[in-house]
Amino acid sequence: MTTATASVPAVDAPPETQPVAWRHRHLLDVDGLGPAELELVMGTTDAMREVLARPIPKVPALRGTNVTILFYEASTRTRVSFEVAAKNLSCDVVNIAASASSVSKGESLVDTVRTIEALGAHMLVMRHGVSGAPYLAAEVFGGSVLNGGDGWHAHPSQALLDLYTLRSRLPGGSLEGRKVVILGDVLHSRVARSNVWSLTAMGADLWLCGPSTLLRGFDAWAARGAAGRRFTATSDPDEALRDADVVMALRIQRERMASGLLPSLREYAARYGLTQERLRRAKPDVVIMHPGPMNEGVEIAPDVAVDPRSVITDQVTNGVAVRMALLYLLAGARQRAGGGG
Amino acid sequence: MTAIGDIADGLTLRGWAIDPDAGREGPAEIVVTDGRLERVTWLDGADADGVGPDGTLIVPGLVDLHAHFREPGNEDAETVASGQAAAAHGGFTSVAVMPNTTPAIDEPGVAALVRAAAAASGSPVRVLVHGAVTAGRKGETLAPLGELADAGVAGFSDDGASVHRGAILGNALAYAGALGLPVIDHPEDPSLTDGAEASEGYVATVLGLKAWPVAAESGAVARAIDVLAGVVRDVPGARLHLTHVSTAASLAHVRGAKAAGLPVTCDVTPHHVALADEWIAGSRRWAWEAVADDGSPRDPWTDGALTADPFDPALRVNPPLRPASDAAACLEALVDGAADAIGTDHAPHTEVDKHVEFGWASNGISGIETALSTILAAVDAGRLPLARAVEAFTVGPARVLGERQGVRPGLREGEPADLVVVDRGATWTVTPASLRSRGKNSPLLGRELRGVVRLTLAGGRVAYEDAAS
Repeated sequence: MTTATASVPAVDAPPETQPVAWRHRHLLDVDGLGPAELELVMGTTDAMREVLARPIPKVPALRGTNVTILFYEASTRTRVSFEVAAKNLSCDVVNIAASASSVSKGESLVDTVRTIEALGAHMLVMRHGVSGAPYLAAEVFGGSVLNGGDGWHAHPSQALLDLYTLRSRLPGGSLEGRKVVILGDVLHSRVARSNVWSLTAMGADLWLCGPSTLLRGFDAWAARGAAGRRFTATSDPDEALRDADVVMALRIQRERMASGLLPSLREYAARYGLTQERLRRAKPDVVIMHPGPMNEGVEIAPDVAVDPRSVITDQVTNGVAVRMALLYLLAGARQRAGGGG
Repeated sequence: MTAIGDIADGLTLRGWAIDPDAGREGPAEIVVTDGRLERVTWLDGADADGVGPDGTLIVPGLVDLHAHFREPGNEDAETVASGQAAAAHGGFTSVAVMPNTTPAIDEPGVAALVRAAAAASGSPVRVLVHGAVTAGRKGETLAPLGELADAGVAGFSDDGASVHRGAILGNALAYAGALGLPVIDHPEDPSLTDGAEASEGYVATVLGLKAWPVAAESGAVARAIDVLAGVVRDVPGARLHLTHVSTAASLAHVRGAKAAGLPVTCDVTPHHVALADEWIAGSRRWAWEAVADDGSPRDPWTDGALTADPFDPALRVNPPLRPASDAAACLEALVDGAADAIGTDHAPHTEVDKHVEFGWASNGISGIETALSTILAAVDAGRLPLARAVEAFTVGPARVLGERQGVRPGLREGEPADLVVVDRGATWTVTPASLRSRGKNSPLLGRELRGVVRLTLAGGRVAYEDAAS
């Protein structure tokens, strides 16, 4: 086990000079990250928060590193967050929206990734609608691949920023034994899946809650645990929210009605929407989260979104710091491995 | 040195022979002269010293009732000639190809084209042809079944899709039954599989892959059997073969139908027997190693069994790889005979169609060359009697195809030599270069397998000879 007390890196310096215990060239999922590695990300994020607090929130650490952001799905916050993070570390950034590239002419992912590498990219941040697509990219890309969300599978940087936000909000900074509820469309959520791994790794008492159609299979997963780490799945929001320390609402997409998974948004809002009334079952100081973008009035009431206990805007701010940390750690691992750039 | 297509002559083969037709197994010496089995001598006493079932194996040429050779229309993925070469390398001497070509084999001219390609290749591997059930495989109107039967097709199938309209399936069973031919159904309810990526269950849930319900297959199996039950009262010759059956629930329906005396047969594939859905997560242990003592699938995440990268598109296949408990049911069906045959569902694809995002990859595994080694792994593990494996590779599928195709696996003196010699103790590594198929889409690439085919003789001629032998 690597040390969990990794000192805050001096992030003004090039990452390969840091004695950090980060060994991953890519970040494709969080299922392989143990508590020590999660602590390292958290500690590095602290250092990045310190950078962000400076009058000029920019360090030269990754100068000369070319980052390409390739998004096959629409996104505002994640894409911009990665771009800002990369620029704060002095990376050069290229943005590719799939609709504006050869992808719309039928170019394969493998060819696209090879082209991006030939154009000089050292790091590739990608989002894709098909679960597992970043693994294909990582197979052919010579640099580091950062998964910015794939299908229903994983959203590692979101899970890590959620973890960071919670630790900075919860008394004592620990999730051990804290009841964390993820509420909504769990089935189609890469945020929920990634949080299963990272929150249980840190000892949270995790509950997944949603309509039974949007929770299919999670009972069986919960019964086995995530590599032995238990969580609970229930379609009863009252049971889930009782004495909760944290509740995270997930976005409901309109196409769920068309595919017969839900009768109506109105019915969803009435039975599962995060309202002040429903929140009374939780602890008085419950932390309210949402990965965004929100459908206010559906999965979360407008007054809940702006409640003083809401950390939704903190999640966005912390997202930049976490992504800076991830770019920094991956660059270090790649350069120590002789990846150049 | 002999060449492919040469008449086998002057060969004396010694090893553990299995003749499933005669129900005989043991040390034997077989003399091949001028393409025929001149003499089959079963050895005993001192003559049999050093000959055991774990050494050199001599069995009748394997029969595959379900393969895709992609010609006409997708020759980049496979041709009849490359398919024959792959088959011979895998120990197969008779292969029935599916009609989902472009155009589909839904009229005699296309069937004739496939036969002509087989004849022109120089390979002695016999290529049988299945005709489509419906015109263009669209599931709407019957293909010219009688004309296709006159042209010598072995059966009818819309494989790749089920005959999802019950009335058409019933009519096809009745019409084909009167022609003495089986309908080979790919059981799948498409209303349950739209966009589906991996078998419903733990692995699909954890990986965020759209669930492919068991009911999509078992429901279609149950319906096809019930349709048959009605037809067979009026048309006693009607026969239903369910191909690539992959779940315990489907096999329960098949067992019930067989117990009721219905003319139903089925096959299972090597990959549904030996690979479980956990391979998609990165496991590389055999399916029988992934079952807990209580019969439930083990947890590869907890076991530390995830040794490869997840989402290998080579593992995307229809029906999908199933939880290890279903794989165990397929294996059990081979053991007790509920499954009549092993069908490879050899489905070669190009890189363009396969080296893409998992959910967008074409369905299928290039498997005719790894089928024997894969099933022998189950034999090596003590999970399947060797004789049963050989039956399911030879007389089992031959019975489904029927005598009229002239496929009669056996080791009978005086008949053309049609056999395969396998070195069970030797190993080979699956690589793009070692596969003769144009389809390199095997999830076993890089894996070392036991059981090397040394010699394949088809119809008295050399179909494959290992360079090392």
